[in-house]
Formats: sequence, structure tokens, C-alpha cells
Amino acid sequence: MTETQVLAYVKASAAAQGLVMNDERAQRVASHLARTAHLAQLLEASPMAVADELAEIYKPLTFPPAFHKGVSP
Amino acid sequence: MTEFAKILGALKSHELAQAIRRGDISALEATEASIARIERTDGAVNAFTGKAYSRARREAAAVDAQRARGEVLAPLAGVPYAVKNLFDIQGEVTLAGAKINRTHAPAVHDAFLVTRLQAAGAVLMGSLNMDEYAYGFTTENTHYGPTHNPHDLTRIAGGSSGGSAAAVAAGQVGLSLGSDTNGSIRVPASLCGVWGLKPTFGRLSRRGSYPFVHSIDHLGAFADSVDSLAMVYDALQSPDPLDPGCHALYVQPVADLAQGIDGLRIGVLGGYFQDNASLAAREAVAVAAQTLGATEVLEWPDAALGRAAAFIITSAEGGSLHLNDLRTRADDFEPLSVDRFIAGALTPAHWYLQAQRFRRLYRDRVNALFQHWDVLLAPATPVSATVIGAEWIEINGTQHPARASMGLLTQPISFAGCPVVAAPLWPAGTEGMPIGVQLIAAPWREDLALRAALALQHAGVAHLKPVEI
Repeated sequence: MTETQVLAYVKASAAAQGLVMNDERAQRVASHLARTAHLAQLLEASPMAVADELAEIYKPLTFPPAFHKGVSP
Repeated sequence: MTEFAKILGALKSHELAQAIRRGDISALEATEASIARIERTDGAVNAFTGKAYSRARREAAAVDAQRARGEVLAPLAGVPYAVKNLFDIQGEVTLAGAKINRTHAPAVHDAFLVTRLQAAGAVLMGSLNMDEYAYGFTTENTHYGPTHNPHDLTRIAGGSSGGSAAAVAAGQVGLSLGSDTNGSIRVPASLCGVWGLKPTFGRLSRRGSYPFVHSIDHLGAFADSVDSLAMVYDALQSPDPLDPGCHALYVQPVADLAQGIDGLRIGVLGGYFQDNASLAAREAVAVAAQTLGATEVLEWPDAALGRAAAFIITSAEGGSLHLNDLRTRADDFEPLSVDRFIAGALTPAHWYLQAQRFRRLYRDRVNALFQHWDVLLAPATPVSATVIGAEWIEINGTQHPARASMGLLTQPISFAGCPVVAAPLWPAGTEGMPIGVQLIAAPWREDLALRAALALQHAGVAHLKPVEI
């Protein structure tokens, strides 16, 4: 993302999120987001397989204790 | 200061606990000494944002009454401590360093870890200053004033648990609690010259603490000695099924630390951890390595990527958590961090999800490293404490933004969830200021990091230094 693209993204997404800001603040926020974009690029360049899942995985309920008599593999 | 107060002030928390148990000192005397020290020094340090003296005197009196009845005292009976102001204290508003939180209702219950320390007999003295919502490494809090480094009042204490580290460094209390998402215990411990422990992610319950980044937040402790740190850590441990981020299923008390470092495979992290460290920080690690007999230098896998992913997740979750207030009252936020919070709230979902997916791979690579190593050494901060208000720090000839860069060396470690003890060393070339060394172990092996820490303490290379304010 170029500086202009980051600033345009900040203004558009802030408006969509209901975040009101003047041009000075938008510029400062864009500077921060540009730093994040640079870090995101590093990750983008790191290969991951489709099977690489998130670190945190939703668990509907604690696994049941033994008295529920599950089937052993 | 009376002779008695001087003697009391020289005792480390674990020694104070023994003295109270023996009846050499009453819990009330220890509490009054702590109050006197806070009152004499905190005008200069600004570590405390709330004082709980009535409660402290009540808790101390209860300990003395227990002793008078001949009851066995709990491990930390009568020992003063204080907590970062993101911990709930019953009847107090949990500020989390924010102006916005002033209008919140007072906490109905103590935080889980406060109840643990109360059960261990410790005496709560009050709440401590921090960066707003824990988003910072300097404790330059515009609403409550900066916390000053007790070793040089013109310098930062580090953050975000700056009050917690400064209170121990200033001798106001010997124990304190803090939080660490990306380095918020280890950075202020490093800059204030005190012992700090960030346990394994999921070791300690976070229930009743104000969150910053749900998927990375840790709670931990600061102390005046390794022995005190181990005692408070043991007292804090307990499974808590009501905290979804508490993964410990039972307590693993620290075993005999005095067994030393025999048999431990100790290495030094190079690459990223040397490239982003000043000469003084590298010297601190060299002293620790020599003391511990560590000669081999190795690479931490994907440190820069780990830091990048931690940065993205932090800003996205932090921004999302406060989005509603950012919409309606952005001007009430800390001016030093509000723009970062807003930028975080605008983070594209793809960046965040890539970072969370990478985290799983990263964890596996880091855990593989510990098949060959027990304890790894790295600097806790790139440099020693900067002057309050500094915008830039120089690391090996390159200028870096000061407020974000103090966590360069801690962020990759906490992102993997490894336990770390920050040991206070005093290298040359820092105008007498400390720099901490991280003693890093595999998840759930706090005991190994503490054993290495005790070896450094016994060798006399890592310790607190007294301050007069």
C-alpha cells in the first residue's frame, strides 16, 4: 500500500466504522497503519498451507470425562 | 528514618515473611513502614494512583491476631504488596490507566489474583500507575502523570506496568503485580532494576483484570529477590475454569531452587536479539552468560515475524475492544496512544487472521527449540531507561521510535507464551542505570528460569540497588 492508499483506506474505513476524525488525525492514524501494513507484508511473504489453522480454536464444551464411555481408538 | 525502619527496609519480602512468622516484627509494623516509605517517596516517583491504607491496616491486624492466637501463618503473611491499577480491588474503580474508566462502577469483587494473595496473607497497599489500557512501554500517562524511575527521576520507569516496577525499586513495597502482553512486566523490570516474572501464557487466571489483548494477555509479578518472586508466584497459582485463557489444570509449585543450574542447557540468543540491542544490553547478557556458563549462541526462530504478528494482533484486538469509546469520545483517550488504537480498529481482517494462523506455526517452531535447550538468554530492553518525553532511541546507530521499540526484544517471546524471568543487571555505559536480562524457558517451566535467576542472584551479578529519594 502506498501512503496515498493507506490514507484513503483510513478515511473510508473510519467513515464506515463511525469513527469521526479530522485530516490531521487521519494522517497520524495512517502513519501508524502504514507501519502495521509493512509488518503484514512480512507475514504475507511467509508461506502457510491451507491447513495451517488459527492459534485459538473454538471449543464448544470441555471434553467429557471417562464415565461417558467414549469409544477407544 | 529510625534504626528500626532502616532494618525493616533492608529486609527482602521473603525475609520479612520469616521475621513476621518468628514474631520479630509485627505485620502492622511492616505495614506502617511501607506506608511511611510511600508517603515519603511517592511525590517524586508517582507509582501509586490509589492508596488502600485502611484495608492494609485491617489485613495486617488480622495477621497479627492470627499469630497471637498461635495459628500457623500463610506464606506471605504480613508482607506488603500493590497491584497495577487494572486489577479489580473491591470497592475501588478499576482505572486501567484511563480517564474514561473514572466513571465506571467500583469493582464488586477483588481480582482473582488479589484473592490469592489475600489468602496467602499478603497486605494490599494500593494500586499502581500504568500506560492507558496497557498500550505503551513508558508509563508516560497524561491523565495521572508519568511514573519516574527511582534510579533517576528524569527517566521513564518503563511500561506498561511502570508503577509496579517503580514501587519495588523505590522500596515502597517488596512485591507487586502487573500484566504483560508484549513486555509490560519485563520492560519496566529491566528499566527499574527489579526482578520480574511473566509466567507461561495461561498459567495464571486473569479474571478480574481489565483486558488489553485477550489472546496474548498474561499476568505476573515483580519482586525484590528471586526467593520473593518464587514465593509470590507459588501463591498466585491456581486453576480457574472461569477464565477461558487459564490453561493450567493444577498447581505446580516451584521445587527446590537451590539445586542450582547443574544439568541445565543454557544458550544465548543471537541474530535479532543482538541486532536490536545496544552495547550495554549485550554486555548485560554477556555477564549473565558467563556466570551461567552459557557459551553457545543460537537463533530464535522467526523472531521478526513473531514480533510482526504480535504487533498486528495487539493493535487489532486493542482497537476493537475500545471501538465504541473511540467513536464517541476519542479526545478522552491518552493522546500518546489514541491514534494507535484507532489504527488498530481499522486493521483489515486478513492481516489479523494471517497473524493468528502464523502464531500456531510459530509456537511449534519455538517449542521445538526447547527440545535442545532449557534456558535461553536475551536482553529485556534494547537500551536503559530514556529521559521522560524522549521520542527516539538509538540502537546500534539507527533511530527507532522510543515508545514502540522498548518492546522489540520481549514481544517475540511472549507471543510464543514462554515463561520469562527478567533479571536486573547493571552493565557499564548506562550512567548507573540497569538493564534486564530475559531468562526464557519452555512453556510451563518457570522453575528452570527461576533456577537460573537464583544462580545470578547468588553470584551477585543480578540484584536490586538501594535508592534514596
